[in-house]
Amino acid sequence: MNVLIIEDEKALAAELEIFLTKYNYICEVCYNGATASEKIGINLYDFILIDLGLPDYDGLDLLKEAKKHNPDAVCIILTARAEVYDRIKGLDLGADDYLPKPFSLLELQSRMQAITRRKFGLKQNLIDLGGFLINLTDRTISYYNSEVNTITKKEFDLIAYLILHKNRTLSRSQLSEHIWGSIINDDYDSNYIDAHIKNIRKKLNTFAPPDWLETVRGLGYKIKINS
Amino acid sequence: MKLKTKLTLFNALSKLVIVTIFVALLPTLIKIINQNYTDAKLRKQKDKLLQIINVQGIKNYSDASYYTPLKEDYVSIGVDSSIEFLDTIQNEKRLIQGDTIEYRILSHNFNAEHKKYLMEIAISVDAITETTRPLQNIAFQVLLGMILLTIMADQVYSNYVLRPLGLIIKTKLIGHKFPNFGSYDKVKTSTSDFEYLDISIHKMIETIESTFQKEREFISNASHELMTPISILQSKIENMFEQEDFSDEVKTRMLEMQKILNRLKSITKTLLLISQIENEQFLKEDSLPLAELIQEVYDEISIRLQDKNIGFETAIPANWQLAKVNKFLLFNLFFNLINNAVKYNKENGSIHVVAHNEHDIFSVSIIDTGIGIGESEIPFIFNRFKKFRQSLSQDSFGLGLPIVKSIAEFHQIKIEVTSKKDTGSTFKLNFPPGFIKIG
Repeated sequence: MNVLIIEDEKALAAELEIFLTKYNYICEVCYNGATASEKIGINLYDFILIDLGLPDYDGLDLLKEAKKHNPDAVCIILTARAEVYDRIKGLDLGADDYLPKPFSLLELQSRMQAITRRKFGLKQNLIDLGGFLINLTDRTISYYNSEVNTITKKEFDLIAYLILHKNRTLSRSQLSEHIWGSIINDDYDSNYIDAHIKNIRKKLNTFAPPDWLETVRGLGYKIKINS
Repeated sequence: MKLKTKLTLFNALSKLVIVTIFVALLPTLIKIINQNYTDAKLRKQKDKLLQIINVQGIKNYSDASYYTPLKEDYVSIGVDSSIEFLDTIQNEKRLIQGDTIEYRILSHNFNAEHKKYLMEIAISVDAITETTRPLQNIAFQVLLGMILLTIMADQVYSNYVLRPLGLIIKTKLIGHKFPNFGSYDKVKTSTSDFEYLDISIHKMIETIESTFQKEREFISNASHELMTPISILQSKIENMFEQEDFSDEVKTRMLEMQKILNRLKSITKTLLLISQIENEQFLKEDSLPLAELIQEVYDEISIRLQDKNIGFETAIPANWQLAKVNKFLLFNLFFNLINNAVKYNKENGSIHVVAHNEHDIFSVSIIDTGIGIGESEIPFIFNRFKKFRQSLSQDSFGLGLPIVKSIAEFHQIKIEVTSKKDTGSTFKLNFPPGFIKIG
């Protein structure tokens, strides 16, 4: 899939490109609004990531142009401005999502996936993990036709996030940011991820040991899927 | 006491004192005036009489007394054998036809035809005092009238002169949420002192306001500017994790970096949130049941309760509806308060969230059985970056309660804190009218 990254901070643009390339996206980068406007007018993209704070262009204008020339593209606004007004206006103008800086690259990727699923109505997202069938669309887990209904919303969020970034170790900070990111509080080192994982294991264990949910000592957790 | 009341009181009192003094002096004054007048009259009569005697000769008048039947005055001339020469005016009693009457008597010795005579001209004291009473009354009435008039004039004038001061106090100092002063309305006055006062107050408030504004802008700008570099660092660290050729030791250190970066991120985000709230950048358009909001907070926080085996009970009527609020902010308010109740609680402790309705004044209390707050510390717990309580299990940077305070102020919620060391704390949220609808 083609991604246009519009970001005037070159260092950040570079990291976005490295990360998304690894996830098999084909990236194009531009550092200012003028080039971006040109590219939007000529090429077709699946994703357009727009930084609102461009030196030469109002990001919201770019969004309008993108909607005109690339109506099928998924537009995600990335901004450090984080003003409530911008958010509403961006979404009003047809942005598919809005990520305030600083955001995690993993978060960006999971949003992109979620929108893809929603927008293109992909077939049921079923993942088989050692007999557990995880349905990412309906948010359900079953084990050989019996449903695992003890899993809470938060716990499912964790499993889904780990599946999305399969075979990759996610640190506790990254996991907490995903499930508690929108809450503003003054704890900066909460270890409740461990408690959640412990609960998940306990609940799944009544069916079968979830060996695929691995603890990477000292680093975090990962879900192993052999493809 | 108000300045106006003080002035009025002083005016009235000072006039009262003057009136009292004058009324006390009045009889004596009138008496003296009367006496002087009477004495002058007696002397005139004496001169006239002497003139008459001179012209007509003494023999027509020697040994004669004249008085009216009412005995109010009399004149007598008689031969006097005493040696001394009298020329006096004094009060004496005389017996006339069986009545003893007090007279003011002029006694005058004079020689005529080689004999010494004594002339007495008298006016009865009663006749004199008869005129003093009405005089006194008139004087008293005139005085009273004048005093009342001046009191009224004083009152009206001080009212007029002091009105700008009252206006300054009423419109500039009372009832304004400091420092939100609004626009400057000049108070009309011709008194330069008040003009000066008005302008000075305005200038001071303006200075304070602009300082506050600058502080808010600074925090807002600084946190915005910090977002991009933090974002770059975070992306870099995340991408570095992907590299397989790092040893676990390096990865652990990168993890530390990520944690520290997260801390920086939280602080910056929190400061930004506070400045956004203070700049009123949030809307208040959500309505939802309070119990539902608390349930959402509970869902987020239950893992923390479980970790410490803390009991959680709520008593909130299902029909309490929050009206015109910002859900995101209120969620964060309750989350932070309940999170604190967990953080500073003891193992196996408990938390109660209880709603009260006292005569349609709605409030919610969050009561914990935690380590409590010292009484001397309570006034400072809402200050930024102040950490009084040592959390038992985890680190924080002292912005939890400042967020709570900003959100509460944004929604006009008043927070009452009561606490006892080692027993627990209660945070009571008093909601403004209209905040809770029953439905």
